[in-house]
Amino acid sequence: MKTKLQVKDLHLAYGTKKVLKGITMDIPENKIVALIGPSGCGKSTLLRAMNRMHDLSPEVHIMGEILLEGDNIYAPGRDAVDVRRKIGMVFQKPNPFPKSIFDNIAYGLKIAGQHDKQQLQEVVERTLKSSYLWEEVKDDLDKSALSLSGGQQQRMCIARAVAVEPEVLLMDEPCSALDPISTAKIENLMLELKKDYTIVIVTHNMQQAQRVADLTAFMYFGEVIEYAPTEELFGNPQVELTRNYLEGNFG
Amino acid sequence: MRKHSHLFIVFFFGLYLWSCTHQHGQVENLIIKGSDTEVNLALALAETYMMEDLSISISVSGGGSGAGIAALINGKTNIANASRPMKAEELLLAQERGVNPLSTVLGMDAIAIVVHPQCPIKELSKQNLGDIYRGKIHNWKQLGGPDQEISLYGRQSNSGTFVYFRDSILQAEYSPKVKQMNGTAQIVEAIKTDASGIGYVGVGYILEKNGNAAKGIKVLAIKSTDHTLAYSPALLENIQQGNYPIIRPLFQYTDGKPKGKLLQFLRYCLSEEGQALVQQNGYFPVSKMYQEQNELALNTTYAKSSLH
Amino acid sequence: MQSRRFIDRAIKQLFFLAATLSVLVLLGIFGMLLMNGIKAFEHISLTEFFFSSNWNPAAYGKPSYGIVAMLFSTFLVTFGAMCIAVPLGIGAAAYLAQVAQAKTRLVLKPIIELLAAIPSVVVGFIGIVMVGPFIAKVFGLSNGLTALNGSILLAVMSLPTIITVAEDAIRSVPNSFKEGSYALGANQWTTLTKVILPASYSGIIAAIILGMGRAIGETMTVLMATGNALAMPHGFFDPVRTMTATIAIELGEVPYGTTHYYSLFAVGALLFLISLGINLIAENIAAKYRYKA
Ligand SMILES: Nc1ncnc2c1ncn2[C@@H]1O[C@H](COP(=O)(O)OP(=O)(O)O)[C@@H](O)[C@H]1O
Ligand SMILES: [Mg+2]
Repeated sequence: MKTKLQVKDLHLAYGTKKVLKGITMDIPENKIVALIGPSGCGKSTLLRAMNRMHDLSPEVHIMGEILLEGDNIYAPGRDAVDVRRKIGMVFQKPNPFPKSIFDNIAYGLKIAGQHDKQQLQEVVERTLKSSYLWEEVKDDLDKSALSLSGGQQQRMCIARAVAVEPEVLLMDEPCSALDPISTAKIENLMLELKKDYTIVIVTHNMQQAQRVADLTAFMYFGEVIEYAPTEELFGNPQVELTRNYLEGNFG
Repeated sequence: MRKHSHLFIVFFFGLYLWSCTHQHGQVENLIIKGSDTEVNLALALAETYMMEDLSISISVSGGGSGAGIAALINGKTNIANASRPMKAEELLLAQERGVNPLSTVLGMDAIAIVVHPQCPIKELSKQNLGDIYRGKIHNWKQLGGPDQEISLYGRQSNSGTFVYFRDSILQAEYSPKVKQMNGTAQIVEAIKTDASGIGYVGVGYILEKNGNAAKGIKVLAIKSTDHTLAYSPALLENIQQGNYPIIRPLFQYTDGKPKGKLLQFLRYCLSEEGQALVQQNGYFPVSKMYQEQNELALNTTYAKSSLH
Repeated sequence: MQSRRFIDRAIKQLFFLAATLSVLVLLGIFGMLLMNGIKAFEHISLTEFFFSSNWNPAAYGKPSYGIVAMLFSTFLVTFGAMCIAVPLGIGAAAYLAQVAQAKTRLVLKPIIELLAAIPSVVVGFIGIVMVGPFIAKVFGLSNGLTALNGSILLAVMSLPTIITVAEDAIRSVPNSFKEGSYALGANQWTTLTKVILPASYSGIIAAIILGMGRAIGETMTVLMATGNALAMPHGFFDPVRTMTATIAIELGEVPYGTTHYYSLFAVGALLFLISLGINLIAENIAAKYRYKA
């Protein structure tokens, strides 16, 4: 099993507030890894560290390494833009740009220099199909993406992230704002995407983690307490803390 | 700016006097408004006069001759300072409103024609000067200078100088290319940086205490006709002997024959002391002809000025 | 409880009153301009007013009342000012809202706001003694009292308005847009130009319009710095006399009730209508592009 992403003794602080305290974990290629844990334990923070989203906040201090196929994404001279092109992200709240559906999906390609209309059309169609949105929106590609429903918006955001063909896809509670039907669609979509991508997903939904994830990590107060194949973690947790959490004793 | 600070001083001074004398009796307020050319002189006269007569308070403001005359017609000022005579339509309007403008002459103002020091021209005839401002002569080449468009500077239409210059030198419309500057200071500033510029300004404004022209500009000598000599206004005697051709009276208009304090103030302006102030401010004492007019208007004789 | 409700109601009424009052004042001003302005046309033909470029009410001979030259001058100066101020202003706003560190911003913001506090006479004076001569030197003109001079000065004067309003607009774009763009591999510049600025379109238009209003209405600066020649300008290197300058120069001297007096009100009414028109267009554009989250 090839390791795609390797987190090595990662420490992170917002100003003086330490939020990640030495995270180490390997994320294998073409697998789905779920991050679970109580609110505020640092799941989103870790996820955002994986594509250098924290670069935008000057108060964030990071120590440690994250290797993408062996290369440290925080190495001096490494271009954050290039890292993000390889490691895409889908956010908790759908965030379509106030543009047309077509322009939303073509955005990533256009800024990468792809202006061939024909090709853009192809990609838009393919990604919308792969996110099961095509049938719903194929006649409305010129309409504002803001006119879509929440579930549709989130699937469009996934299509948008997929359109630039990243290697890793990070998803931060992508279904938390969605109804069960939309959620089911997105879970199917993830399983589909797994063939081509490596996926890390933050979720609060234990069933969801069990349904989609190959591996699950339980985080607590900025540390990974237990990281194991999903079935093992849920079926037979090795650490007391994990068991307590899964039994619903806190969080 | 200077003008306004003066205004304030006069205002507060007046207020102060008012509060001092209030117990003793009525203080009379006089308002003077009009020509920007005359405003500093009027202020000086008002300030010194208020020292002598504590029962009077005088406020002075500028705004241009037109503004002063309009204020007189609208009954908003006691004295309208004007560096030009009233126009026919202004007189007509005054009559309609029941105002009878009466003029006295406060002093004489000579107007200097100024150019950039690099300009090779030294003298102009009144005829050429008119042609320049009418737009007929538009290149210095036409006057034997360098091949350069003449850049014209003048005052705005609310200025008495604007009207006087047009009516007595141009006797026609100004060229539409004349840049209408917002005051004499701006004309001088503009000429200093414009090698092809020409402008008209009060002599008092550009003569320094020692009689030389201000730095950075050149004053032209003017001849009445092509066949007479050219005289520079920078020499006092040229003006005093009546040789410099661009000179005009500075008027003070009142509504009807002045009485009481107003009359006393006007008399003071024409007294030896008043006329000395006129000269200190860069103007020239009232000429013989106007002295007689003044006497008629004010029913007074006053000390013969130093004109003779 | 009771008194709280009463205060609430009273305050509401007060605001309503204030709003009504300001509308009434506006209508009153316009009505006054219009009533006086219309009287000008008892003696001036509409054709002359709107199609002649000759404005010379204080003429030696027959007075003329054509506004074309000053109308064009006003547009010329304002257009030039916007050409300078819009890119600069939006650039500065984007910088302040997106790029600048908190510390830098803390220094720059008050300086920009201070710019708005410089009296227009001072700006005009700077135009005469510094900017004008500089223009003359750079472009080889005999003097710098030109439309360009006015445009530059007005640009400076409208910058604080444009920057402040545009910065607010840019700042109010949800952070999620920015993150979404970065996550797709966009750099800062692309994110700014392709996502953030388009998303704050309506606010930026408002900023431009407000700046334009400042420029069109400004009097003293243009009065001092643009030369005020009556001739029709042929471009940015000619002196111009704008509508505001004309009103300011001439209103002081005209006796009440003359044709000249009324004609200045007609010019004022037109200026008012132009400002109103620009504002309406701006409202329209803004409404069309308003971001609905
Ligand atoms: N921008 C920030 N500045 C300061 N503290 C933050 C910031 N973002 C998150 N935190 C804090 O970091 C901790 C972890 O947050 P987060 O990673 O969002 O947790 P989770 O996603 O697991 O709920 C929390 O205590 C949160 O308050
Ligand atoms: Mg979170």
